[in-house]
Amino acid sequence: MTKHQTAIVGIGQTKFRSKRRDVNIPEMIYEAVRMALDDAQLEPKDIDAILIGNMDHFEGINFSEMWTGIDAAPGYLKPVVKVATGGTTGSSLAICGYHNVASGIYDKVLVIGWEKLNEGGATTGIITAFDPVWERPSLAGALGPLALMAGMYSAKYGITPEQAAKVTVKNRSNAANNPFAHLQMPDITIDYVMSSQVISYPLRLHDCCPQSEGACALIYANETEVKKITDNPAWFHAVETAHYYTFGTDDKMYDLPTATIASKKAYKKAGIKDPINDLDVAEIYEPTSWSELSWTEALGFCKPGEGGKLLDEGITQMSGELPVNPSGGVLSTNPIGATAMVRVAEAATQIMDRGEKRQVPDVERALAMGFGGSLWTELMILGKEPMR
Amino acid sequence: MSRKKKGDIFEIKWKTNLPYRWSIGKLAVKFFEELKENKKILGSKCPKCKKVHFPPRAVCAECLVKMTLDDMVELPPRGTLEGFTVVNYPFTDPSTGGIRPFPYGYAIFKLDGADTYTMHFVNETDASKMKIGQRVEAVFNDELVGDLVADIPYFRIVEDEKEGD
Repeated sequence: MTKHQTAIVGIGQTKFRSKRRDVNIPEMIYEAVRMALDDAQLEPKDIDAILIGNMDHFEGINFSEMWTGIDAAPGYLKPVVKVATGGTTGSSLAICGYHNVASGIYDKVLVIGWEKLNEGGATTGIITAFDPVWERPSLAGALGPLALMAGMYSAKYGITPEQAAKVTVKNRSNAANNPFAHLQMPDITIDYVMSSQVISYPLRLHDCCPQSEGACALIYANETEVKKITDNPAWFHAVETAHYYTFGTDDKMYDLPTATIASKKAYKKAGIKDPINDLDVAEIYEPTSWSELSWTEALGFCKPGEGGKLLDEGITQMSGELPVNPSGGVLSTNPIGATAMVRVAEAATQIMDRGEKRQVPDVERALAMGFGGSLWTELMILGKEPMR
Repeated sequence: MSRKKKGDIFEIKWKTNLPYRWSIGKLAVKFFEELKENKKILGSKCPKCKKVHFPPRAVCAECLVKMTLDDMVELPPRGTLEGFTVVNYPFTDPSTGGIRPFPYGYAIFKLDGADTYTMHFVNETDASKMKIGQRVEAVFNDELVGDLVADIPYFRIVEDEKEGD
């Protein structure tokens, strides 16, 4: 039971790009923080605590909370804690922020996710998240395991590369409506995806997410504070996390068991019986096009094996019953420490009816999902009204 | 924002070595000793739920019960293909610091008798020649040093066998 209703009252995102050579790390983070504070019309002194995170080894700097939590955000003499869980960093941060306000410990919390990953080697960063003795020697970044997962998923259910390509087409054309998205491709076609090189069977280059730099900031408040700040917040309805084993290979990696478990629990908490009808929009974490098809099954949007059919029928398109990734998703923008938080920021934007060109009509409830190389799933359900 | 020419960029360069010395635990030491001395592959079996873990480890995730050296079991160097890919993209090889030559085959399979999966290199670079259900067998290096990839550079696909043979 939570003590306090908690809502998102301010959002900041940088325009995500491949390289932000014009700024250093704290300068980049400051952009998102300033935007969130201005959005909520709060002063730095109004923030009670800060949570910040990224995947340290991408930048090779391990005290980012000290420096960026202070220079880039109003952290001086305040509680500042770093949260780092790989690809799920952004959603772990979002959930921890919720815990800190819902529990009544803090009234207003600032949560920041960021990454400047092209300043280091991407492989160097990623392999530090794997066991040095058993996993690293043969690892091919995240690509190898993601390719294996796509292949197993395809073989099990007969999903075709064209069905997967449709996901990239949907997401990168959706991204053209999102001013913050990295890759915006309003005219993308299936041929464009299908003619890209197979970089790890069955994954083509354009089945895979980019590497982006940028930051995302969210400001949370409890119900008392919300009244003083805004009449258009995004309320937390349910939060659920499911972790996995030590090694990816400790269980079957495809079909994402953690998403099945976490979604069942989250839906129960939020009183959701039929996701397609009870949710109005979903921002899910799809590192590859194939992943999105599989995750829609694991999240209960359709039966196992029917992710391709769901998209073919248009249900997850912008015009469908449950649009998935109006922001463009991870396939369009991937600043790792921020990526999972961007899902929450975009879900909140939809709830607040501030999505402009990417706005889905009449959004009452939104789902945000975090995922990472650890194969964890973290879910948040947001709503226009407080949960009763 | 205008693009600076290479000559305009202010740059400082330095090189850093970041050496580590990891303690890998008694079961892992036994694993590598048996690999090097006796060309054997060991897993560990939970005394409570009997789940056979590869790689071997000291604690069973399901039971949170310890596994010791006495719980280690030998696994045959053979398994059945669950999934495969052919990596066709440059990646840094963590063992050498250089780029690993590509394309190369990479697969996921269960060693016979293990309850967890294994990912390792396979000797096929044509994805159309691989199929889920094929049998794979470890190929050992002539000289064994106690290193997973050096001692078993890859698994080969056994052409004439399928699972159930």
